[in-house]
Amino acid sequence: MKTVPSGRALAALMAATMGVLWGTPAPAQESVVVRVKLIQGEVPTDPLSPEWEKVPATEFPMSPQVHWQKRILQTTVKSITVRGVHNTKQIAFLVEYADPTQDPADAAALEFMVGEKKAHFAHGQPMAQVEGGLVNIWYWRNDTPGAADMSAQGFGTLKKQAQQDVQAKGVWRPDKVKVKHKERKLNVRKDPKGEPMKDPKTGDPLFDEETKVVEEDVTGVWRVVFTRSLTTADKDDVQIQPGTFPNIAFAVWDGKKLESGDVKEAGSQKAITSWWYFNAEPPTDYSIYLYGLMAVVLAAGVEFVIIRKVKKGQPV
Amino acid sequence: MKGSSLALKGAVLLAAVFVILKFALPLITAPLPMSLIWLYLFLATIGIIVFGTLSGESTEALLGPVSRFLSGEGIRGATKALRLAVLVLFPLLVGWETYSGLVSSTQPPGENRTIHPAPPGEFVGLANPVANTPENVMMGKGLYAAFCSPCHGPKFNGNGPASDGFNPPPANFVDPGTIAQLQESYLFWRIKKGGVGLNVEGHPWKSAMPRWEVELPDDWIWKIIMAEYAGSGHKPRTWE
Repeated sequence: MKTVPSGRALAALMAATMGVLWGTPAPAQESVVVRVKLIQGEVPTDPLSPEWEKVPATEFPMSPQVHWQKRILQTTVKSITVRGVHNTKQIAFLVEYADPTQDPADAAALEFMVGEKKAHFAHGQPMAQVEGGLVNIWYWRNDTPGAADMSAQGFGTLKKQAQQDVQAKGVWRPDKVKVKHKERKLNVRKDPKGEPMKDPKTGDPLFDEETKVVEEDVTGVWRVVFTRSLTTADKDDVQIQPGTFPNIAFAVWDGKKLESGDVKEAGSQKAITSWWYFNAEPPTDYSIYLYGLMAVVLAAGVEFVIIRKVKKGQPV
Repeated sequence: MKGSSLALKGAVLLAAVFVILKFALPLITAPLPMSLIWLYLFLATIGIIVFGTLSGESTEALLGPVSRFLSGEGIRGATKALRLAVLVLFPLLVGWETYSGLVSSTQPPGENRTIHPAPPGEFVGLANPVANTPENVMMGKGLYAAFCSPCHGPKFNGNGPASDGFNPPPANFVDPGTIAQLQESYLFWRIKKGGVGLNVEGHPWKSAMPRWEVELPDDWIWKIIMAEYAGSGHKPRTWE
């Protein structure tokens, strides 16, 4: 009679169990969250503070605002980098982006949902089947000291709040940076003779799309810091709880004056994102280590009792 | 004896179920959530236990190795070291799982967004009132280029120059999972009412799709729909 050693059977069982318990590594998460690091002491309000170098940065690509009128199809700023810190009382966001000119009308804004109700990223505009909420917008403009703490719930409702809780400071420096962005081209498809090809059904010219990431040298970077208390007494403000994942959206305006006298980007003509997330790092909760330790002791105790019963031949 | 390998067979079966659900299934369909894989493994374990305890002999075959391993009876050499490792690792694993369950998540909450939620009743089954002529398709392509291509792209693949900052990204009409699965009336609703027309499952607060009814007449929207099908190489879904 051939028997299988119990060790082999259990090794296989153990391997299966371990595989299930550990699973497989999760795929790399896209950069969709601003990690707001918990720090000791005051949050840096200076955009050039070396403290910012210690904080992880998250990059967000920007889109020209094409959602509502008046639209824009091309904007100066293609992406922004965002960092955040808090000290359980104050929170600060640093927004960095390349802009080759420093102009009085250069501006940047952060947007948040207020309360539990979902709000559309476009100024909290009404939604047909969902009762939307308010958005809170923190707005900075180069020619205006400080920041504007604003609210909106639909187009044309944007207004400065009675109670101003946000501070902001922007610094432009002629730093040389490399900006990566996608460049898209349509190339006419040609036959082996070099003649343009046409769709045999419609006669339309045929094109091939070429998308590549290009690196552009830009001299000039805006660094803007927004600061506020995590919580305020204003019901129209976003209230920030560490450990949660509130939504955040961004907008920037290149206020360069064109030869026509118009400002290149103003009002609804701006570079934007839709909703992403931020997460204010929660203070370490040491009780979870205690609970982990208690689980180890409990499991070892159960294991001990079972082995003892098995050795005595008692039913488990 | 065949019964004595029951524990091994059970372990192999569990491992096989896990490998199939976790790795093989995603090759042909959407990956299963880990909670569902757990459920299937639990059911498989119950099945193995029921099968293994049908008779006294099979019960011994299933539980005997486990019992001998736990008691250490007759175990020596490498198996002895393995037993010690299991007995030490088990409580540590329980502790780690407890810690992992309590520690704050570093990932945002899952987004259970329905990509194609049900349209309102008045938009179900509408027929395109515009004749599908080359001229109308051509006009639709011109309208598409002017109003839609900045996001959905000149090649109808969602890769427009204005698409990069939006989450979720604009729809890729070339993908067989988008407009090829939908009726023209569905597209009419989505274009006319825009992102803000979605129901709660569609997460309207995130959508950058404009509400085109405020800017475009209905016949332009129908022509754009024809252009989207012509340009993407798909046909509208029909009930026939």
